[in-house]
Amino acid sequence: MKVELQINNSTSTGARFVGWTPSPCRIRMTDRSGATSLTVNVQITARTTTTGGAVVFRRGTTGTFSTSITVPVPITGASVPFFIAGRFGRPSINNGDVTIEARVGTTLVGSVRCMVRVRKNANQLTPGERDRFVAALAQLNNQGLGRFTDFRDMHTNVSSPQAHGAPGFLPWHRAYLLDLERELQAIDPSVSLPYWRFDQPAPNIFTRDFLGVSDSLGTVQFSPTNPLQFWRTDGVQGINRRPFFNTGTGAPSLRTEAQTLAIGTTYSAFRSMEGNPHGSAHVSFGGFISSIGTAARDPLFFLLHCNVDRLWAKWQRVNGRFDPALAASYDNTPSPVGHNLPDTMWPWNGITGGTRPPTAPGGAMASSPSATAPGPQPRVRDSLDYQGIVNLISRLGFDYDDVQFA
Amino acid sequence: MAEKKKAGKSSKSARKAQSPAKKSPATKKRSARSALATATSASKPVDERIQAMTEAPLAVCAEDESLQKMLNVLRNREEPIEVRLAALQSLQAASFAVLAFESCRADYIATLRELVEDPDPELRQRVLGILARENDGFVQKKLLEGLKKPGKALVPPEKALQLLSYDVHSEAYPIAREIVKNPPSSEAKREALRLLSADPAAVPVFEKILRDKDELAELRQLSASALNSLRPEKLQEHAREIVLDKNEYDDIQAVSLTALTTLGDEAEVTGDAELLKRVDALKGEKSTKVKKSARRFLEKYGE
Repeated sequence: MKVELQINNSTSTGARFVGWTPSPCRIRMTDRSGATSLTVNVQITARTTTTGGAVVFRRGTTGTFSTSITVPVPITGASVPFFIAGRFGRPSINNGDVTIEARVGTTLVGSVRCMVRVRKNANQLTPGERDRFVAALAQLNNQGLGRFTDFRDMHTNVSSPQAHGAPGFLPWHRAYLLDLERELQAIDPSVSLPYWRFDQPAPNIFTRDFLGVSDSLGTVQFSPTNPLQFWRTDGVQGINRRPFFNTGTGAPSLRTEAQTLAIGTTYSAFRSMEGNPHGSAHVSFGGFISSIGTAARDPLFFLLHCNVDRLWAKWQRVNGRFDPALAASYDNTPSPVGHNLPDTMWPWNGITGGTRPPTAPGGAMASSPSATAPGPQPRVRDSLDYQGIVNLISRLGFDYDDVQFA
Repeated sequence: MAEKKKAGKSSKSARKAQSPAKKSPATKKRSARSALATATSASKPVDERIQAMTEAPLAVCAEDESLQKMLNVLRNREEPIEVRLAALQSLQAASFAVLAFESCRADYIATLRELVEDPDPELRQRVLGILARENDGFVQKKLLEGLKKPGKALVPPEKALQLLSYDVHSEAYPIAREIVKNPPSSEAKREALRLLSADPAAVPVFEKILRDKDELAELRQLSASALNSLRPEKLQEHAREIVLDKNEYDDIQAVSLTALTTLGDEAEVTGDAELLKRVDALKGEKSTKVKKSARRFLEKYGE
């Protein structure tokens, strides 16, 4: 007897990634030999290592999760749905460090290896996680010749009004990060975007093996084994970044996480975080990252924005602000195009000219084997329900290590 | 330009003063308007003003009067330098909200241009950096002029070259080549090379440095990388030669192995028996860097 386990409703190895958000899965019988009834009770559990990820299961879209479920599987080959979620606080470190097992009695009838993949604090990555992230990013940049060029060209002075200074600031950047993360995962599926928690010291980020060490001039130095030494943007080698705080022991002077979450309970109030801490974090350095037109030339930009997005995610969870239909979840004051809930977002919509920038680099939003949303041309509203809390189909396929589901 | 010292705290101590974890009583919640009033009031304590400036950058553009007050703080050489630097940072942070900042932009940029010759070197450098990142022609001209006539330089040559690299124009290439030949410092040479990494005509310069084992490892590393970018088809060839060279320095070997691992042509590398054999031997090298990069190379291509 054998069963097939589909993670994220797929048999693809690229889909075998879960977060805290429940992933829709299916089980079906592929070899009925030995079966004595029309359905067979299959127990689904997981095996992991001491440092590996951990998962939990449930049968339906509601109810409590447990470490094991029993599913009646028809011998006809018809599939039966169930859900897997990472156990909060137990993310994976390596791809495949969790094994989902299906047993009939004590007999193993199917298994797949998967990963609890969530966005983590960059300061706490293992050397392996750090090296995989850096290698994927360098490969995406490919010395200024790779796909990263599109991401650099999406965030310029010309395109800036699409993404800044209005309510769409947070949704646009959420889509932007997701697009980049999916491209990184196409290179190495075990990678997720880490965040720079800018209100705390993060000495492990500013090292030669990670995002580099700035010399007195602001030129960033890397170790010979760090592929980011080949980083190139706008035709020029290297990264300029001059910190105005001690990167070894300090953090920039800006709103703390608690202060940011306390800004207000409506999105209209909360979005003032675009100035502080967001803007304040950018200008806590000189160099690329301190001006809009050049900020995306520094890899640190993506870690900074990942934390901005995480703060929004935390605020959403604390205040229950996932539903676009709820007035407090968004600022519905009529705003420039690209900033209203029903608007499609540039550049993924491909619209150019008029009130949109003259070009739309990068094409549609990258797809993911583990989540169907937000689709190729995301709207502002598609960024809000990122965990699929209001509508399961809306989940975007990422989670933060310290932001629970629901 | 001669760097005049202002009375009071130096820029260095001013930078230190902006370090975090300074929780003054002013950290308690107050309105954006009140924060701006504190920030621009010369009668308030310096720490309190700096804290107030970080609180509500977006409010700077709420009223024209607020912007002008903040710009006046930035312009005023009588203000403590740490307050002026904080005002600049606050305006910079506000500029990230492009739509909201639009009405302020012209005055902001005009004020920055007034400050490019400010006697405080830190403020001057930051202002030049902001304008250079905006591809400001006025500043680019000043920087080039300073490189040609050092008496008129607003910043050291390495900084000028770095700032010019934000928006590389071919007019900067001749002076950058000259600096590579006769560098006033190793930093100036490095920044000149970085700027030239956008110039296809600079290939021979990089080839020469790469082959010269007496050059600094950092410059050879940069040259290898620049060459690979200017002539991507050469990546394999250059990196391979360096890896096979038993007399090559560890750092450069590690750089080349990293280049091959990250950017190499998989089919070509896996078909190169001599290279694979050599890297296999490098696994046992004493140098941690070489061992680490060899191991990663073999994880991808050899096993």
